[in-house]
Amino acid sequence: MQRTDAAISVKLWALVCTIMGISLTSNMVLTCVLAMCGFTFLAVQRNFRLLRGFGVFYLILAILLCLIRFYGLHMMVFSEFHVLMFWNLSPVFIVGWDLITTPPGELAAFLSYIHTPTPIILGVLVMFRFFPTMRAELKCVWQSMRNRGLTSPSQLLCHPAVSCEYVLIPILLRCLQIADQLSVSAVARGAENPAKRGSYYSRKINFSDSVWFVVWSSVTALFLVLGGVRL
Amino acid sequence: MKKTNKWSVRDVITTALLTTLLVVIQLAVNMICMVNDFVSMVLSVGITMFLCAPVYFLMVSRVHKRFVTLAYMTILGFIFLAMGNWYLLPYYMAVGVICEIILWNNGWESKKKLTAAWTISSLLYNGVNLLPLWFFRDTYESFALSAGMEQSYIDSFVRYYSSSVWLVFIILFTTICGFAGSLVSGKLIQKHFKKAGVL
Repeated sequence: MQRTDAAISVKLWALVCTIMGISLTSNMVLTCVLAMCGFTFLAVQRNFRLLRGFGVFYLILAILLCLIRFYGLHMMVFSEFHVLMFWNLSPVFIVGWDLITTPPGELAAFLSYIHTPTPIILGVLVMFRFFPTMRAELKCVWQSMRNRGLTSPSQLLCHPAVSCEYVLIPILLRCLQIADQLSVSAVARGAENPAKRGSYYSRKINFSDSVWFVVWSSVTALFLVLGGVRL
Repeated sequence: MKKTNKWSVRDVITTALLTTLLVVIQLAVNMICMVNDFVSMVLSVGITMFLCAPVYFLMVSRVHKRFVTLAYMTILGFIFLAMGNWYLLPYYMAVGVICEIILWNNGWESKKKLTAAWTISSLLYNGVNLLPLWFFRDTYESFALSAGMEQSYIDSFVRYYSSSVWLVFIILFTTICGFAGSLVSGKLIQKHFKKAGVL
């Protein structure tokens, strides 16, 4: 089923609301209210892949939190503090990842529309496209290390420093190459032109977006009233 | 040709890309270190600073202009702001300003100045763990107690940041790791990047 992305302004507002919520609240367990709102937001956009991934993650956290709260679970390898930290940060992860996976053209169009300086637009786009690009690059580095027999556990354990070097140096060189290619492409598309930018992706706010503005504002306000504010 | 300090598109993209790589390495090391409290609270910052040093050295040497460190620290501060620690944004911006002062006069060309900047930022990077616990210990405790943890467990968890001996060890370890990382980075830059002609 086709995704029906909300407007970028709504996604940004949702991110601001969740950041404000988790920063100001004095009841961190209650952040589930914001997380539920985030899940509904994903479902309405038909972003089911993200919904499934974060849903499973959040369910595991909820089970761990229940075991800690009601059965006194103490874990040897992953502390209870970290479970609580992830529980608290989940609303930001959900909404933030939804924003990151928005098509870059739409993001650039919105940032241009609100007169964001070009260097900031470029920086934001590069950061948001970093994850898929680096995943592919890491795969290539790992494959070439495997071809040379450098990924065996004994090699990694006996020579950790050299193994780090084998991964880090090609990745860094590739980063520099990507930066050069992107710069050439950006300059060729007029990134240094001081004129106002146009875009094929301009999108107006519709009724559903307006509703989500109200929903996020109300849910965050209600959450802060119920949970209390730390100052 | 006269060199200007104005950033080009390439500088912006290089800084954004390598800053993201730095942040990803920092978060990945923190996540891996979470398996054990001692490693997470005592050693993780030092390990992070050691591993990130080559990326930082490459970024500053490649862009070759002022305000690279400030841009990096500001982005890092925004990441922590998104995680609910708003007070880390001004803190990291201040750390960035200190590093910029060290690097002000063509510091990117001097290995000593780069080493000094990274060692100082390694020392001050401890704020990521210390500031939340120092300023919001009460909130953390009530949060943990409300989630069902025992007071004795909470005390044992935060003992590393309450005891002066542990604090001195953590700060020394991190600073030494940052310094060692700088020395290794200088060699790696010479061995790989200068030889390849990318710097």
